[in-house]
Order: sequence, then structure tokens, then C-alpha cells
Amino acid sequence: MKQLKRMFRMHRIFVSQEIKRMMEYKGDFVVGIIGFLFAQANNMLFLWLIFSQVPSLMGWSLEEVVFIYGFSLIPKGLDHLFFDNLWAVGHWLIQKGDFDKYLTRPVNTLFHVTVEKLQIDALGELIMGISLICITLPSIDVEWSVLKVVLMLAVIPFATLIYTGIKIITAAIAFWTKKSGNIIYMFYMVNDFAKYPVKIYNSFVKNTITYIIPFAFTAYYPAEYILTGANPLFNIGVSMLIALVLMFLGVIVWNRGIKAYESAGS
Amino acid sequence: MIKVENLRKEFKKTIKEPGVLGSFKSLFHPKSEKIVAVNDISFHVPEGEVLGFIGPNGAGKSTVIKMLTGILTPSSGSCTINGKNPTESRKSYVKEIGVVFGQRTQLWWDLPLRETYAVLKEMYEVPDDSYRKRMAFLNEVLDLDAFITSPVRTLSLGQRMRADIAASLLHSPKVLFLDEPTIGLDVVVKDNIRNAIDYINQQEKTTVILTTHDLADIELLAKRIVMIDKGSNVFDGTIPELKSKYGQIRELHFDTDTKDVCNVLAYREHFGFSDEDVKVETEGSMVKVRFNSSVVPVSDMLSYTLAKVNINDISVKDADIEEIIRRLYMQGV
Amino acid sequence: MKKKLRIYKPFISAGMQEVSTYRINWIFFMIGNVMGCFVSYFIWKAVFLSGDNPIMNGFTMPQMVVYIFLMFLTSTMISSGGTYDIGEEIRDGSIAMRIIKPISYNSTFLFQELGSKFMTVCLLIVPLVFGVEIVRYAFTGSVQFEILNFLLYILSCVFAYLINFFFNICFGFIAFVIKYLWGANMMKNCIVGFLSGTVIPLSFLPGTLEKICLLLPFASLNYTPVMIYMGIYHGAALLYYIGLQLFWVLAFWGLSKLLWSVSMKHLSVQGG
Repeated sequence: MKQLKRMFRMHRIFVSQEIKRMMEYKGDFVVGIIGFLFAQANNMLFLWLIFSQVPSLMGWSLEEVVFIYGFSLIPKGLDHLFFDNLWAVGHWLIQKGDFDKYLTRPVNTLFHVTVEKLQIDALGELIMGISLICITLPSIDVEWSVLKVVLMLAVIPFATLIYTGIKIITAAIAFWTKKSGNIIYMFYMVNDFAKYPVKIYNSFVKNTITYIIPFAFTAYYPAEYILTGANPLFNIGVSMLIALVLMFLGVIVWNRGIKAYESAGS
Repeated sequence: MIKVENLRKEFKKTIKEPGVLGSFKSLFHPKSEKIVAVNDISFHVPEGEVLGFIGPNGAGKSTVIKMLTGILTPSSGSCTINGKNPTESRKSYVKEIGVVFGQRTQLWWDLPLRETYAVLKEMYEVPDDSYRKRMAFLNEVLDLDAFITSPVRTLSLGQRMRADIAASLLHSPKVLFLDEPTIGLDVVVKDNIRNAIDYINQQEKTTVILTTHDLADIELLAKRIVMIDKGSNVFDGTIPELKSKYGQIRELHFDTDTKDVCNVLAYREHFGFSDEDVKVETEGSMVKVRFNSSVVPVSDMLSYTLAKVNINDISVKDADIEEIIRRLYMQGV
Repeated sequence: MKKKLRIYKPFISAGMQEVSTYRINWIFFMIGNVMGCFVSYFIWKAVFLSGDNPIMNGFTMPQMVVYIFLMFLTSTMISSGGTYDIGEEIRDGSIAMRIIKPISYNSTFLFQELGSKFMTVCLLIVPLVFGVEIVRYAFTGSVQFEILNFLLYILSCVFAYLINFFFNICFGFIAFVIKYLWGANMMKNCIVGFLSGTVIPLSFLPGTLEKICLLLPFASLNYTPVMIYMGIYHGAALLYYIGLQLFWVLAFWGLSKLLWSVSMKHLSVQGG
């Protein structure tokens, strides 16, 4: 408990500094957020142009597809906002030997690295995600219940941890290979599959994003439950379970990686 | 205090092949070889000692330091500080030590210095009142107040080094690792840093492990030297020991009015010195003779010199440590 | 000329070495990008299955598949990292050092990039072109590969790369205004991606918008080479679009020179 308090205090200092920094370079942060808004807007334009050709996509309406897309951005954005420094581990912290300093500190390295940065750019994704959900929900016929709202909110942190878990595992590969940024990138590209209804894929892709790299649980499955109310045990329950398993695996791989870490430079 | 036993580290290294074909080949079939960076090194450091840890570039110094600071996991062997072992419990081990890498700051680039210390305080769980006392002490020794509100990225190199040393001492570690603490600093700042290190060592009995290429750091601070080369321990002892073991080099300095001393004084022929055992330099009327006293005793050199030339003033000096170490590095021992 | 090229030879091989040193990374990067293609592929498949029309804005399903993968190949071939390179120099002030370098820094960068690109292209072009041709064969029952179109495609890619190279260098000068290059670069990539047809074929845009896009330099980047390979541009249109590419190469080359000299003046006024 005391440990946890200490961690929160450290996190608070980093976050408040990050916010101060943001105030100092307001323009840059606006540019970053707009950059991410643009990236999502590109995909929206794509969907909109596609739906000008066809009335529905394998039975899903434009609103429903956009809702799933918007929902997918929330866990993605949260992971991006809080745990983005893992990218740096895969890209340069290890390669340049800057990882050394984390190992000389009496704090869990994984915790230390992840809380050190706050990636404000991610607000672009979060703003877009929330807007898309708010815009599409009124025109979708959803049966709301208290349970559904609770489950919807509860699944978001778990969906976020699916991202984080996969990011930890892929970033930790850099302990052996010096650089794993592009492996993280590859997994991120897989996650693009999860932003659309899995019905459109063949069984290979569907099975991959369900069972092997379970990104479908970060977006499509929870969103399906919200839209149709179907199968909460699978759509929500399994999402949560997978998040825990991935985080567990992530910590194991990370710790083994630390042992294999070879530092760099002179 | 510090016990290093048979410490060993092996790395795998991929071999790059030259040329276009090589690039393609290593794309599909990377070759690798095993490299022993540190080969069974052992030494002990008692509490309160300042140990100079030296060796030529690529000798494996950094690898040893990185193992001692818990960054690298040894392939075999162990190092313990106060009975604590970094491979068993890194977190409690690193609480005992402070680390400064001169080449790379450990501070947060964007945070104001004060905030950096606030984060470290939490990390090392320093209680409020000891933190206040500690900051007052460090401020007194390292004079931090002038820049404590500035972000680290705006500090000068000398300020940054002081800030880094203070950061490494915040939690009152038993052992302080200093890797090139004076690199790139001007003479005055170097002196300040050395004095601060010395003062802290005196005041708090902090054990210091110092790696540096500036041998003045070693001469002024270290009582004892451990030297490694090609991953192995080649010397372990005090500076006088080093001098007596390798440093039978003496220097004869004298002032003379005899013309053409170099021809008059035929040391090489007279004593049968080999080329590297004697060297004569002249500057005006001043003459400097550097020779190996294990080949010819100082007294013989003196009497021969006094007999041959007219001397106004003469003195015999130990060779400085820099000269000894230069010879050692070049020979590769 | 030959002697000049010899100076740059080490940079070419350095670029090639780079790819093989980080080979695992490079392979994963490529797999990641191919994955992006497959997402588009499945979406388009669903679109064609959901609609009644087998031809959408001039594209049949197999043509769309070919389009997606050729877009990927083309983007990889013409990509250029000049924005960061120059932007970082502006940020840390080292751009002033360029004046004292005896060889043109732009060229060393260009050659180093060509080195790594050579590796990339060698490894990608064969499987991708082969794959594309198999798709075309499977759908039409005859071999569609035309050597002339392929050669023109390569030529067009070279122009597109040069446009991109100089465009990115010009864009890098934005670092004088915006410190946060990453965000700025992302915005740029999104806009360029859309206007160059990477997101969706330009023929899907409403009429006037399509016409405007075709005139803009961005269509000259990816869209033109792909259209040439697919045999959609021929005759006068082909000459027109290649001519347009050439125009944009010269325009951005000139602009980069201009920005360069302006910023040098700016630097000497500011004193670096």
C-alpha cells in the first residue's frame, strides 16, 4: 500500500511536469493533437466515401461501423496517453543505452519507464473516439440497461491493458534485439483489423485477431455487445480475462528481458 | 564492503560482412561470435576507500561498472555490497549505491532541477526532514542554489555534473560510482568537482569507485588502483605500489653550463641502456633525463653525470603516474 | 561525374548496411505495412460484396486489389525521410554547419537513402509484382504484365521519389515555425496520403475535387505511377502526367534551393 502511494506520488510529479511543459509549448501540443485527429479523419473520410457506394457493409450500417471505430479509439488513446514511453524502449532507449538509468534506481523498471511520460498527442484520438461515439449513438437503435453501461465502462480499462500488455511484450523484445520498434509497429498494424466488424474478414484473420493477437477484444467484441447485447460473457468477460493474461505475460517477458539486457556504448 | 568475485561477462556479437553481397547475406544468415568482455575479475574494496578503476579504451571497464551498478547481469561470478547482490534483489542493492555517468545525465531533461530531486526523493523513499538536511548539505558542497529552478536541459556541463553528483548522493548511498566525472570540464570546474568528491568521502566515509581517463583525478583522489586490460585484472594496489612495481622510471633534472650535453653524456654507451630505458631532453640550460632505475641505480647515474658535466642544480624525481600508465597501456602488459 | 559519384559510394553502402543491421526490424516494418494492405483488401472485398455494381468508379474488385498492393509498393519505393533530417538540424542549430561542409549534404543524404532503398526495392519488387500479376491472371485468365508499362512505372517512380525527396526537404523548413516536428509530419503525411490516393483512389472523389487533386503535386507521387502500371494512363494522357511529374520535380527542387538560401540569410542575421 505504501509502495502504491509512493508510485502515485511519483506519477503525479511527472504528470504535473508534463502538463506544465504542455503549457510552455502550447503550439506544439496542439499540432500533435491535430495530427492525430487528422489521421483518424482520414479513415472517416475513407468510410464515408465507401458508404456513398453501398448502403451497408455486410449488414452493418455506416453509423454502426463508425461507432465500432470510435470505440476502438478510446482504449487505444488511453494506452497511448499513459504508456507511450514503451515505444521509446523499443525504438531508442535500449539501443542508445539510455535504459541504464532505470536499472540504477530502486523502482520497478517497467513502472518507472511507463509513468515517466504522458503523451498528450493521444488526446487527438480520445477526442475523436468520444465524438464519433456521441455522433453515432443517437442514430443507432441500442437497448440500454444499467448493466450494459456498467460493463461498457468497466471493459475500457481492460481493453486498454490488452494494448499495454502487447506493447510491453513487444517492447521487451528489444532487450534481446536492441531495437524492436518495428515489431511494436507491426502489432499496431494488426490492431487496425480490430477497428472494423470482424465479419468482413476470412476465418484466418478472424481467428488471428481473436485468439492469437487478440486485438479484436479491444474494440469489435465489446462494441458488438454494446450494439446488440449479444454474448456478454464472451464479448466482455473474455476481454477482461485476456487483458489480465497479457499483462501477466508482459511482466514475465519484461523481467526476463532485463536479465538479458546488454546495455550499449562504451 | 564491496566484494567482487570471479566476475565474468560474455557477449554475442554479429559479424558484418562487407559489400553488397555481404549485406544481403547477413540479412538472411547473420553470423555471430562470442566475446569475453570481462574475464573472471576479483577485487575487494573496504569502506571509505576511494578506488581508481582504470584501463585503456575497450578494456571492459564500463562492462564491470555496469555489472557493479546492477545494469548488466553477469554471465558468472558475483558482486556484493554489504552482503547485497544485484542479481538477487536489484532494488535493495541500488539503494546502497549512487551512480554518475559523466557522458550521460541521469536527470530528467525537461524537469526543473528541483523537481528532479523531488522525484528522486520519492524513489529512494527519503523522509522529509532528512531530505531537507541532505539538500542543505549538498547545496553547501556543490552549490546548487544558483540553478535549482532551471530545467536540466538549460544547465552548463559543469552545473549538470554537480547536479548529477548531488542526485546520486541524495539518498546517502554507501558507495558512489563515478564514471568519467570530470569529462569535458574546464580546469576550475574539475577542481571543484574533485574537492567535492574528496570532502564527501572524508565527511561521510562514502566508498568511491572512480573510472576516468584523467589520471589527475586518480592521483588526487584515489588511494588504490585496480587496472584491467582485455577483460582481466592486471594490477591491484596502491599508487606507491604501482610506482615501485612498474615505475622504476626516475627523472634526473639539472641545470648545466656545459655545451652540447647530449654528446658529452653517453648514457647509452656507458651503461648499456636499451633505447626505451633512457631518454634525454634539453631545454636551454635545463636537462631532463628519464631512465629505468632497475637497470642502473640512481647513485651510479648521479656520479657519472656529476663527473661529466658542470652542474649548477640537480634533483631526482619519481616519474609521474601518467607516464607509468602510458607505458602500461602501450605495452598491453 | 564519375569521380563525383565515387565520393558518394560509401553513403550508398552505408544505407545498405543499415538495412541489414536492423534486418529483423526492417522485416517487421514491412510485414506491418503489408498488414495494412490486407485491412484495406478485406474492406474493399466487403464493399464489392455488399454492392450490386461490379464496377465502382472505374474499378473492378481485382483492379482494386492490384491498386492496393501497388500503392503499397509505390509508397515504399518513393518514401523519403528528409523532413526529420533537416528539421532536426534546424531545431538543434547544426544546420549552420552545412555551410562549411565540402560535399553537398543533400546529396549525401539522398545517396544514403538510395542505398537503403535499393535493398528494400530488391526485396519487395519481385514478390509484389509477381503477386499482383498472379491476381490479375487469376481474375482474367490471361497474363496482363506489360513490360513497357512496367518500365514506365519505374521511371515514374523515380520522378515521384525526387518530388517526394525535395518536397520533404522543403517541408522540413517548417521546423523554423513548429518545434514539434512529429506532429507536423503526421499532419503532412495524412494530407499527402489522402491527396495522393493512398487512402482511396482519387476517382472516388466527387468530380471537381478529383480534377483538382490530379493537378496537385501529390497525385504525382503515388497515383500516377500506379495508374501507369495498371495501364489506365496511355497515349497523350501518359505523356501529360509524366510531364506533370517532371514539372513538380523541378518546382520542388527550385523551392528547396530558395528556402535554403532564405534560411541561410535568416541564420546569418540571427547569428546561428
